[in-house]
Amino acid sequence: MSGNAGRDTIVAPATAPGRSAIAVVRIDGPDAISIVEALAGRELETRRATHTSLRDGNEAIDDAVVVVYRAPSSYTGNDLVEVSLHGSSYLVGKLIDVVRRSGARIAEPGEFTERAVLNGKLDLVQAESVADLVDARAAMQSRLSLRNLSGELSRASESMRATLLDLVSRFEAALDFADEGYEFVGRAEARSLLESLLGEVRETAATWSRGHAIQAGLTAVILGLPNAGKSTLLNFLCGTERAIVTPVAGTTRDLLRETVDLGGVPVTFVDTAGLRASGDAIEEIGVGRAREVARTADLVLYLIDSSQGVTDEDRAELGQLRDPIVVFTKSDLAEGGEGAISVLAGRGTKELLARLDAEVNERYAMAEESPTVVNQRQRGAFDACAEALEGALAALRSEASEEFVAADLRRAASALGALTGAISSDDIYREIFGRFCIGK
Amino acid sequence: MPLLDSFDVVVIGGGHAGAEAARVAARGGARVALVTMIRDAIGRMSCNPAIGGLAKGHLVKEIDALGGLMGEATDAAGIQFKVLNRSKGPAVQGPRAQCDRDLYAAAVQRILAAEPNLTIIETTVSRIAYEGNRVSAVILGDGARIDTTAVIVTTGTFLRALMHSGEAKVVGGRFGEPSSDGLSDSLRAAGLSLGRLKTGTPPRVLASSVDYSRLDLAPGDAVPRPFSILTDTIALPQVSCWTTYTGAEAHDVIRRNLDRAPMFSGQIKATGPRYCPSIEDKVVRFADKERHLVFVEPEGLEHPWLYLNGVSTSLPADVQDAVVRSMPGFERASIARYGYAVEYDFVNPQQLTPSLEARSVEGLFLAGQINGTSGYEEAAAQGLLAGINALQLVRGREPVILPRDLAYAGVMIDDLVTLGTEEPYRMFTSRAEYRLLLGCDSVYERLTSMADALGIVDEERLRRVTSRLQRTAAAREAIEGAELRPDRETLAWLLPLGVSIAGPTTVAGLLARPELDADALFRHCGTTGQLAHLAEIRGRLADEELEGVVNRARYSGYIEKQEREARNLRDDDSLKIPPGFHFERPGLSTEVIEKLKRVQPASLGQAARIPGMTPAAVAVLRINLRYELRSASGAGRGA
Repeated sequence: MSGNAGRDTIVAPATAPGRSAIAVVRIDGPDAISIVEALAGRELETRRATHTSLRDGNEAIDDAVVVVYRAPSSYTGNDLVEVSLHGSSYLVGKLIDVVRRSGARIAEPGEFTERAVLNGKLDLVQAESVADLVDARAAMQSRLSLRNLSGELSRASESMRATLLDLVSRFEAALDFADEGYEFVGRAEARSLLESLLGEVRETAATWSRGHAIQAGLTAVILGLPNAGKSTLLNFLCGTERAIVTPVAGTTRDLLRETVDLGGVPVTFVDTAGLRASGDAIEEIGVGRAREVARTADLVLYLIDSSQGVTDEDRAELGQLRDPIVVFTKSDLAEGGEGAISVLAGRGTKELLARLDAEVNERYAMAEESPTVVNQRQRGAFDACAEALEGALAALRSEASEEFVAADLRRAASALGALTGAISSDDIYREIFGRFCIGK
Repeated sequence: MPLLDSFDVVVIGGGHAGAEAARVAARGGARVALVTMIRDAIGRMSCNPAIGGLAKGHLVKEIDALGGLMGEATDAAGIQFKVLNRSKGPAVQGPRAQCDRDLYAAAVQRILAAEPNLTIIETTVSRIAYEGNRVSAVILGDGARIDTTAVIVTTGTFLRALMHSGEAKVVGGRFGEPSSDGLSDSLRAAGLSLGRLKTGTPPRVLASSVDYSRLDLAPGDAVPRPFSILTDTIALPQVSCWTTYTGAEAHDVIRRNLDRAPMFSGQIKATGPRYCPSIEDKVVRFADKERHLVFVEPEGLEHPWLYLNGVSTSLPADVQDAVVRSMPGFERASIARYGYAVEYDFVNPQQLTPSLEARSVEGLFLAGQINGTSGYEEAAAQGLLAGINALQLVRGREPVILPRDLAYAGVMIDDLVTLGTEEPYRMFTSRAEYRLLLGCDSVYERLTSMADALGIVDEERLRRVTSRLQRTAAAREAIEGAELRPDRETLAWLLPLGVSIAGPTTVAGLLARPELDADALFRHCGTTGQLAHLAEIRGRLADEELEGVVNRARYSGYIEKQEREARNLRDDDSLKIPPGFHFERPGLSTEVIEKLKRVQPASLGQAARIPGMTPAAVAVLRINLRYELRSASGAGRGA
């Protein structure tokens, strides 16, 4: 039996974003247990920490520890599942995405506690503090948003809302004033408007990865052929002898991570195994991991030994990388050209730091100027908006009558409304009557 | 002070709101008096001679499903029926009927006269008497007193009414009828504050003075579809309307005389409706529009006048003459009654509870134009609900509040008491967020059993509704799971229609394909011998009923989506805010608290709809409400 408060299933991270030993995701509501059991592919015992792998179809998410609480004996009073993952915000985001696709929605700030109160699990004093918490969270969020210049986000979503409002009002007018002799809205025009709006909404939703990266920090992977000087660079960057450095190619086999503050953003540098086909099973795994981490990294440093020059292997590797930052190393052994470094000789390292600093700024400081989604809730709003817009476009394409298009447009608008305030029907009328001469 | 009598409910006013209110309260068993200044004016159509239209037609159907009289009266007086928005989806098609205005009023009066519990008293009301914060009596113009438990004020535009025609001002709420002034003071005494609104009406023209050859014909539907489930066929002969337009000449005349228009000269300060603007308003606000369409509507079968729908005006008579005569077909027209504007007192409905009762005084209900609405249908629907709630008060039962996803009437009343209104409020389909659930084809399903439980549905109506619901339910059930196999006849039938089916295909799936005509599908079922019973079931349905069944199958995806969304709304609406709840709560801003105190929402859902409420404020309110609810019931829920 589920409590009163919690007709739908909600999900949210329970731990702070960023790297940590473990990260906990909480899922609450009637479908919480069945969703997680489906991901685990097995039944889960109540109140027992169960170690299980979670899969999204064929794709593994993570090895996790899962604890199931059944209503009413849980924090919220509902069915509740806590999933402990390895502490990566990427994994957390992935799990939340999968759970959302299974029918849950992102929890509002303070909603777990709210449910606990509503189900009688907390008393009035606690309730008041929850009320404060709801506000404090919102205030914190708005401070956070301010810092990320999310005023831009509100403005962008306001302008999308305005476009929607205009369109909704015209579809509504076409229904309610059908005999006034106007063409309130051209279907072709509406389609192209909606398509570009959908593009904008999706783009904004996609900024989540950037906004999130800034909050949770960036990953920079150091790639290169064996003996290009990757581990030496890592040691230089973190200021300790973190990696074992030898002249033997293939010394580094596993991934090594160190986090450094760069331009105010925590950047985790990942040292990797040199890229080569060695025939050594262990090294092969290391190379595989290097390529894997390169796919998801925010920055890719590609190191080339100046004494070897750019080889065919380098060209092949570079061709597969997205926006690599190429660094020539060992400039003490050979002329590496502009920007080349030698950690040993202490040459060019300062310049490299400045260059990385500039790269981080150039690639991620954009977030300070363009609207950026910084949390899952905001992203959920834009995702819901995009989904409704797709519905409206489908209705338009199938020549459905205006009320069906309008139904989806209203859902799209109320999704954005969750960010900036709802559209009232009076707004719609103001639009209609301001523009058209209505009424007999 | 002579005591005339005592009644359970006294209705003041015999317009569309008053008639419904009095009828339903009497039908439910209350002893009801309807007090009106002019008995013959009961049910009078003071403006256009038509009932229904988009959203308004929906209201009339709802009234019929709830046992009200407007649908019946319309069917008895209708001389042109037309379903508007035929080209759109089913939920937004609205029935409309042109009426004979004399026959309409006669039909309303006949229906009221048949109600044994209802007494009509022709006199003026001087004031309403209160005892403490309850209604106690109505004091008539001659000083006589009627003791009562509930008063329903449905005085339309008659409170401190002032008519404007050019520079001329006449006291009165409708042409040739007096104003009612004392009641405004009674409402103020009940703690209500009043505002001013304006509405207008166009000139009426002698039908014999018009050249019809120059007008465009605007015919109705070939087969008139009745509003009421009680009506089998429309008995009256059906007529056509026409259209014409105002052009450059008319607009020039209006522009030259704007200084004589009360709306522009400052003589009228009240707000008029945006969706029903006067012609002078249209000419000023939409200066680049070269023509404005005018509907020419007969006022009745024998009536000598035509109604010019589209040229509502309060310009002086000579300007009206010039404007009318500039329209094609009206070159020699003579105006039988000039258009005029009316200014009147209204009560901002934010001061009412969702049962349309004044928050400050028990037993004082308000319905219709006095609440800032416009339109017969809006008035009638409020009258019906106010009548039901007065009845409930008399019987000591819970008020009846229609949810927003159940009826347009519910949307309207919630809008009125939550948002208030600053201009005359009109029903639009777009005001309903769950419009797809509120189509005319589902009113009886949605509303009649509830009305029956209140004891306000007559036997014949109930019999007809029950039979209809049984037949449509049987049809739905038969469709559910029925599959059509692609036998030779079926393929031969589908091929020319460009439809191909690979294997057995559900009938519901076929109905969802717009290229297949539902009727033809059922006929085909009869001929292949596969699903012969479907053809038989079709035979038992009226066209309108078939449409309902098909629509449900065809649009089930959209309907179910809206039903899911509506359930969330219901949750918040079912969380009631007790009377006297203190809104000063930690976590709520001063601004939000002020708004909550002004509207005094009756539920969390209503609170959330107040403009300016933030999601965080709603959450804080919800937590507080839940907590208080639990502590009030004396026991925390056990874990």
